Amino acid sequence: MSAVPHASPDDDILRLHVTSEDPEALRALLRENRPDVGGRPHVEADGRIGIDVYTTADRIPDLEREGVTVTRTGNASEAGRAAQAEVGSGDRFAPDDAVPHGLATKLAG
Amino acid sequence: MPYLNVTEVESAVTSLATAYPDLTQLVTLPEPSFEGRTAHALVIGEPAATPKPCVLMIGGVHAREWGSCEILVHLAADLLEAHRNGTGLGYGGTAFTAGQVSGLLHRLDLVVYPLVNPDGRNYSQTVRPMWRKNRNPANAGGNPDSDCVGVDLNRNYDFLFDFVTAFDPKADPQVSTDPCDQQVYAGPSPFSEPETRNVQWLLDQLPLTRWFVDVHSYSQDVLYNWGDDDNQSVDPDMNFRNSAYDGKRGLPGDLAYSEYIPKEDEDAAVLLAEAFCKGVNGVRGLSYKPMTGFHLYPTSGTSDDYAYSRGFADPDLGKVLGFTIEWGTEFHPRWAEMEEIIRDVDAGLVQFCLATA
Repeated sequence: MSAVPHASPDDDILRLHVTSEDPEALRALLRENRPDVGGRPHVEADGRIGIDVYTTADRIPDLEREGVTVTRTGNASEAGRAAQAEVGSGDRFAPDDAVPHGLATKLAG
Repeated sequence: MPYLNVTEVESAVTSLATAYPDLTQLVTLPEPSFEGRTAHALVIGEPAATPKPCVLMIGGVHAREWGSCEILVHLAADLLEAHRNGTGLGYGGTAFTAGQVSGLLHRLDLVVYPLVNPDGRNYSQTVRPMWRKNRNPANAGGNPDSDCVGVDLNRNYDFLFDFVTAFDPKADPQVSTDPCDQQVYAGPSPFSEPETRNVQWLLDQLPLTRWFVDVHSYSQDVLYNWGDDDNQSVDPDMNFRNSAYDGKRGLPGDLAYSEYIPKEDEDAAVLLAEAFCKGVNGVRGLSYKPMTGFHLYPTSGTSDDYAYSRGFADPDLGKVLGFTIEWGTEFHPRWAEMEEIIRDVDAGLVQFCLATA
């Protein structure tokens, strides 16, 4: 069963959430397809077992099978490109007096 | 400060060394990457007449897990600034006193090696954001955009590297002999890659390393040894060096094989992992979970298991408990969220280091 609304028009890597009531069905999918996964399987609020999977749109049918729900939750390539826009340019620490500072609040004594 | 590019990770480390010469030692790793980049690590600690126990923390192993580098750079910066100015550190609801900070750097050397895989990070930050491996072109037939470029560095260490022999055929460890596997190709041989040889070299140079932490993403977990099978503390002969158990490893809950870990080591590992989680939780309430690496999925050739296994292969090396942090819930959080994650994980790491006492 699939809840994927539409295929991606390009080679973008999509973020999918794959769930099943049957842990063995999910294990079999991961074993047979060996998809790129994020994190580990978690028990969902509804008792199903779920895991994030990353793949291109044309590979989604390989994941779809009886007892497994595939839901598109994002476009990882798109998110990555947005993050690429947040990568520094040049070298912010090139000046002699430029030193990194951490994010902790510095607490008196 | 948004994400650091690869030049900035290195210059951040070197600038910290320059700014805090009394508390740091800059280490140049011996092997450049395939694209010619040289990496650095930073030893942080008060000068001492005799060598001190050491916590070695590495990051930037998997190219797409960018924030790992920032976590370690910010941690180093926080500790150094707090020590110099005699302050404590506050990460949300987790706080450390000035005495705890100075005590930490008095008792331990903290070694921060934030960017193990600079070529991969650069490729992920400029071309394919989801890239994971290094950029070794040996198997790519001259095509730099091929999926066949690169090795998964966290499968390239010398721990059960020959997984086909070591594991039960039904175990399905997350590792591959296929050079064109986009994610988990282990490489042609253990330590085939300059990046993993650099980590091995650093462990060799720091014989008082007792704790090793590899920072990854994602799943909000902290993993401790082992990653190849369930743990057991009953039968010392049932261990990764015993070929009698080849073909039996990697199945959960079976009686055929579980990996031996002395009970005192597992107890110590659990306490440290729980300390990390406590530090994280205090910041903004997130619940990271301690578990063995095997509970994530069966693996071979990982850094944490290699670090711990060295002490079994050669007892003269001493024990190094190995940990892997899996921060966050996505590979590329927007920078505003990444800052929150940095606070979470840095609080956890300080708490972890304090718990080594």
